[in-house]
Amino acid sequence: MTLVELDAVTVRFGTGPRAVHAMREVSFSVDEGQTVGLVGESGSGKSTAASVALGLRAPTTGAVLFDGQPLRRRRMAGEMQAVLQHPMWALNPRMSVAASIAEPLQVRTRDRGAVRARVAEMLDQVALAPELGARHPHELSGGQRQRVAIARALITSPRFIVFDEAVSALDVSVQAQILQLIQRLQAEHGFGALFISHDMAVVRYLADRVVVMRGGEVVEDAGAADVAAGFTHPYSRALLEER
Amino acid sequence: MTLIEIDDLVVEFQTSRGTVRALDGATLSADAGEALAIVGESGSGKSTLGTAIGALLPANGRFASGSVRVDGVDVGALDRQGLRALRRDALGFIPQDPIATLDPTQRVGRQLALVVRALGRDASRAALAQMLDEVRIADSADVLRRYPHELSGGMAQRVAIAIAMARRPRILVADEPTAALDANVRREVLRLIFEAAEQTGATVIWLSHDLEAVARWCRRVAVMYRGKVVEVGPPGVVLQRPEHPYTQSLIAAMPSRLQQDVPVRTYTELLAAQGAEAAAPLPSAPAPDRARASDPAPASADEEARA
Repeated sequence: MTLVELDAVTVRFGTGPRAVHAMREVSFSVDEGQTVGLVGESGSGKSTAASVALGLRAPTTGAVLFDGQPLRRRRMAGEMQAVLQHPMWALNPRMSVAASIAEPLQVRTRDRGAVRARVAEMLDQVALAPELGARHPHELSGGQRQRVAIARALITSPRFIVFDEAVSALDVSVQAQILQLIQRLQAEHGFGALFISHDMAVVRYLADRVVVMRGGEVVEDAGAADVAAGFTHPYSRALLEER
Repeated sequence: MTLIEIDDLVVEFQTSRGTVRALDGATLSADAGEALAIVGESGSGKSTLGTAIGALLPANGRFASGSVRVDGVDVGALDRQGLRALRRDALGFIPQDPIATLDPTQRVGRQLALVVRALGRDASRAALAQMLDEVRIADSADVLRRYPHELSGGMAQRVAIAIAMARRPRILVADEPTAALDANVRREVLRLIFEAAEQTGATVIWLSHDLEAVARWCRRVAVMYRGKVVEVGPPGVVLQRPEHPYTQSLIAAMPSRLQQDVPVRTYTELLAAQGAEAAAPLPSAPAPDRARASDPAPASADEEARA
């Protein structure tokens, strides 16, 4: 079942001769429970694609479908979540970890006991000790902060999560743990994921399908197993052979 | 011939939270003309080791014990004059973020001219353009007129390489020189660095967190953990048959080696599980949140994570 579909999406900033195309006729889809890796470098349009998929930015032309229906951000907000590169910026520094995790749920329910129970459940899901709930983001390590951001994204039981460079700022061993955490949570909760990264090795580990963007266009779209043989564009070959 | 000899070096930083040991008895040597990579995660002390070669520690840092010798001369014992001479004549640095290290208020041409004039060399437009040609900048005349913010990351890194190599340094320290660059310019920049070093016979010290990347370029790799060099060897040996448990855990965590059903544990966690003194953190810089990493196990789980 197709969960999210971008259909010939073009995003243009500005008009006339100075207009910049962040995305040109981009089409790809994410199935339920599937992880699509989106690879590209700065300026490739991958972050624009993420905000379009989340309904945070309207395409200039083209369509975004969620469950086969045109995406309506307000109605579907709880069903889609995002985890960003820098949890320090994504988390409110003045809120405790527990309050941050609870926030997306609090706007939807008034049952405080239920929210508390759910926060405890989320902390457990991302393997954080219950007492960390009382801490503030600056008291946590980078890996712990990213776990908090994931718990916060997961609390509304979303069906679609965008991870935008979510492990890029982490050290190798911590990155590995977060990747395995995402994998486990996905197996348990079955959300579809758009996993954006510039690191092909990371994407190949996690994704079922790999989409490569360059200059606002999709230059490659292949199953993760076929990446080595299936990538034909010189840029995506360079990505594979990089380092 | 051994050019750099670092022997049991201890470097301490005075911070508002007390003394922090960035290097805790690091020992490493590099031959003249060698390409050596130093690999470690954040907080391992690799950057401190890189700067210690020129005694370029921040004001709150000091050599507590041990020694750094360059060409047999004890860097720690040099006076101001001697240190300046060493840094000027022997050392070149290639930064992680080249745009940030160039002067934002001056055009590229002017910054190159400053370097070249100090050497008493020809600072004509043509000579400067030639410098940029050598680092394979295509439109060199145009780039000379640009300000740093008008350069791409790869171009700025080439300018930084041209500046670093102008003095033909004997030691070239490159601190994550490709971390801020896009994939398709990384290789080109690395090739430039290594070719330039080979031409001038410079020793390259490449600081990196990426064991696989350095293996393709360096004959020898040193792995650092918590202020110590825990393993040194040819990349093939270090990658295929790592001896130290930290190196083993680092390799197991590399995304290309990661296995779905084998949960990764950081070396710090392993130590903590064994009840070793893993709870004593050794941050490389005054990092406020690290001070709490001595909490019970779950809290210290990934303390070497970057912010």
